[in-house]
Amino acid sequence: MAISRRVFVRAGGLALFSLGLDPLFLARAAYASFRRSVVPSDPPILVCLFQRGAVDGLNMIVPHGDPSYYSERPRIAVPASDVVDLDGHFGLHPRLAALKPLWDAKSLAIVHAIGSPNSTRSHFDAQDYMESGTPGVKATPDGWLNRYCQHDREHQDTPFRAVAFGPQLPRILAGSAPALAIDDLQAFGLRAPQPAARDRLTRAFEELYAGSATGLLSSSSQEAFEAVQTLRRVDPTQYQPTDGADYPRGKLGKALLEIAQLIKADVGIRVAFADITGWDTHVNQGAGEGQLAARLAELGQALAAFTRDLGERMRDVVVLTMSEFGRTIRENGNSGTDHGHATAMLVLGGPVRGGRILGRWPGLDPADRFEGRDLAVTTDFRDLFAELLARHMGASTGALDAIFPGFTSDPTRFPGAISG
Amino acid sequence: MKYRILGWLLLLAIGSPLMTAWRVVGAQHAAPLGMTETSLRDTSSPSVLSPRDSALHALNRLAYGPRPGEVDGVAAEGVMHWIDRQLTPRKIDDGALARRERDFRILDYDRGDLAGMYAEVQRERRERKLAANGAADTTITPRDQTARRLAGQFQELAVVRAALSERQLYEVMVDFWTNHFNVYFGKGADRFLTPDYIERTIRPNAMGHFEDLLIATAESPAMLFYLDNWESVAPGSVPPAAIRVRARPLFGRRPNLFSFPPRDPAEQDSMRQRAIQRAPQGINENYARELLELHTVGVDGGYTQQDVIAVARILTGWSIKRPQQGGDFEFHDWAHDAGAKQVLGVRFPEGHGRDEGLRLLKMLASLPATMHHVSWKLCQRFVNDDPPDGCVDDAVAAWKRSNGDIREVLRAIVSGPDFWAPRNIRAKVKTPLEFVVSAVRAVAADPDTTPRLAQVVARLGEPLFQHVAPDGYPEMEAAWVNSGALLDRMNAAVALAAGKLPGVTVIADSGLGAAASPDKIVAVVDREILNGTMSENTKRVITRQLADITNPEQARVLAIGLALGGPEFQRQ
Repeated sequence: MAISRRVFVRAGGLALFSLGLDPLFLARAAYASFRRSVVPSDPPILVCLFQRGAVDGLNMIVPHGDPSYYSERPRIAVPASDVVDLDGHFGLHPRLAALKPLWDAKSLAIVHAIGSPNSTRSHFDAQDYMESGTPGVKATPDGWLNRYCQHDREHQDTPFRAVAFGPQLPRILAGSAPALAIDDLQAFGLRAPQPAARDRLTRAFEELYAGSATGLLSSSSQEAFEAVQTLRRVDPTQYQPTDGADYPRGKLGKALLEIAQLIKADVGIRVAFADITGWDTHVNQGAGEGQLAARLAELGQALAAFTRDLGERMRDVVVLTMSEFGRTIRENGNSGTDHGHATAMLVLGGPVRGGRILGRWPGLDPADRFEGRDLAVTTDFRDLFAELLARHMGASTGALDAIFPGFTSDPTRFPGAISG
Repeated sequence: MKYRILGWLLLLAIGSPLMTAWRVVGAQHAAPLGMTETSLRDTSSPSVLSPRDSALHALNRLAYGPRPGEVDGVAAEGVMHWIDRQLTPRKIDDGALARRERDFRILDYDRGDLAGMYAEVQRERRERKLAANGAADTTITPRDQTARRLAGQFQELAVVRAALSERQLYEVMVDFWTNHFNVYFGKGADRFLTPDYIERTIRPNAMGHFEDLLIATAESPAMLFYLDNWESVAPGSVPPAAIRVRARPLFGRRPNLFSFPPRDPAEQDSMRQRAIQRAPQGINENYARELLELHTVGVDGGYTQQDVIAVARILTGWSIKRPQQGGDFEFHDWAHDAGAKQVLGVRFPEGHGRDEGLRLLKMLASLPATMHHVSWKLCQRFVNDDPPDGCVDDAVAAWKRSNGDIREVLRAIVSGPDFWAPRNIRAKVKTPLEFVVSAVRAVAADPDTTPRLAQVVARLGEPLFQHVAPDGYPEMEAAWVNSGALLDRMNAAVALAAGKLPGVTVIADSGLGAAASPDKIVAVVDREILNGTMSENTKRVITRQLADITNPEQARVLAIGLALGGPEFQRQ
């Protein structure tokens, strides 16, 4: 696979290059790369990262001021001396140190003890609820990010308005609004050794699907061909991150690099989504070092590279991390943690009122715990999601009601992540 | 690149030795279908469809799609008779696949061999790293290469079996159970335990009784490792000294404490401390929860957090003997929680050791919630993404009657009206595995051991044995149909048609003259590959595409590529 992928990519690159010999195309491309910086305000962009498997919020954002944290986790607590202190009570896991400058610049806020009003400890149900935006209701057909796109009348509808990076379109973007799934931006499209052959194949398949496909096959193929059309003016193989931004190897780094690339290419991206796996740390999760630390290091480096790469453009971008639930306060029998309840989410970007831990901290005392064992949820995740959509993405109150059915959004309950 | 194009499609199999054999078998059982009473009720159902349409539907759902001529073969045999034979896979000769399997060296290795090889590869890597003073060393040693080749063969073997086996329904069920009882090849010891899991746990039980399959998975080292139960111990339990020393076999990036004992006694001591610290000290809920949620009663099966904990306590001590050496199931009495427990209202009195676990698994296997949950999933696989209630009810009834005989449950599903209902015909989109395998079968390709097809399946979003979460790959169309995946399917179709997939020999013999007209080519592609399902639009588009192509080989390749990548072929 790897070998032929490279061949395909090179072939694709050459094909695009030969197209690009068109002087008008070159001129347009050059213009496109500078145009935006002179425009005062670009449309807002929301990037959502889903930590699938339930991240241990207590080791990610460590309540090092709470003695129970240490007594409950003799083998996996992050020593206070290693924690990157934020406010005297909470601190970043040491492998998230790359995010400290963002905190200091007030671009990073943390919502702790956030989660679902539903008590399930099933990964799949909890992810489903977090993506549908309707905890406890399984029948919701679409995801809340898709519903946002359905109700977003302000921004231009482009093939790239909503993009998920990965081989599958996630539940959160499922629904009637168009959304792309891109596993590899460089290889997106029909592949053929010559541009003419590629164009011919593209046209032929486009006609086949336009005329005979039904249902999801029809809408997805239409979105695909529109996106292919747009990508012809952006050469994904030629991208160089700016300002020495160093994305970590791996899927997350690649996804964030491609998101940055699409943002800078001005193809109209408004909502981007990527998955990060590897958080289900039942065994040997480690403390300052180890399994969880390695995942956090990748997350921290990727986010730091992303913000550096986007530079000024971060002014319109908010990145949100989310995870289906947190993990047990007490470590389990295998130096790991089992499925718990509340966790922590990161919100970072230009519009963020950062440098603050948001939400009410319920404490770790047994009496304050959910079902006597887990960190209690004091912020409904919908309060944060609704705030981001309202204050950053411009969703109206009416739209919020439709985006989160059965939930009345109330600005007084917003955690305060975005300048209101 | 090893591929040869012998020509074009195998034409209608009238006269081919394979088809002759089918007709003979069909003739021997001409009249009664040999079905049990469950099926007789609805033998009329397929009659809504023509014999060819029923044959195509059965081949799409109960097999990985038809090979050239196969629809006519099954129609001639009688679709219910063909299904009946598929339900007794042992009696179907599978010599051709057996011969191909001999090329797969992976089948010569048991999990002990693989564990040994894996340990050696790890050791070599560490030594190279030490020698390079910690610098990254990307050298690939011969042993490394062998290990990679075997891993590739393991994945490819699943595709090859699905493509070549005559026991098609059996292979479909192997895939179903592989996902229902998912393990992740990439997690530590599962790298060498998973092949054995497929060969000795899933495959022998795929068409047997659910209870046996459930117990086999519960006792399999691959599952015990994947969902951490092997380390779940009663709080306060103390392993015998000998076990304590190898308390934590180490995998992956962690250094192996036991192959390089440090010279410095102080360091040695601290390592021993760390090993003891890492020793299991209590229960781990991971397997217990997924056993209830995914394997048996389902997430709505009415269990509570207390039930999860009780199940975990019952299964304490279910462990693996020397996992780092690919060892077998072992019950550790010292790690077992001897107290009384209660699961879903049923009491498990204290002091029954391993038998408690067996009793629990048998109980779970026979609960109505389990029957319903698993039957629902089977109906989803075979009938509709949104399974009709009647189908699930029939399956549950057959389950009760037969004490969970999977064959009887399947028989009930395929004998019910829902399976044959027009609204369920071509109502499902193929998964990536189904798409690739059905394409391979449609062009009568003959894949070898190179992992190319498995890589294509992975590229389309379904890397085999590499689903990290325990729920297995989804069955719903929404999970597989999206913009990027569709473009990838088109690319894969064109590559396969052009013979560009190494290891895949496209055997084809068109009988079409070099001067075949576009109309004629399209007609043959419709008949042989799409079995008459090609839409007027597709015919028009392909015909137009062929109009200016003078090279007949190019024309055929393009027509096949467009047909395989087009919308009709995505459905089953």
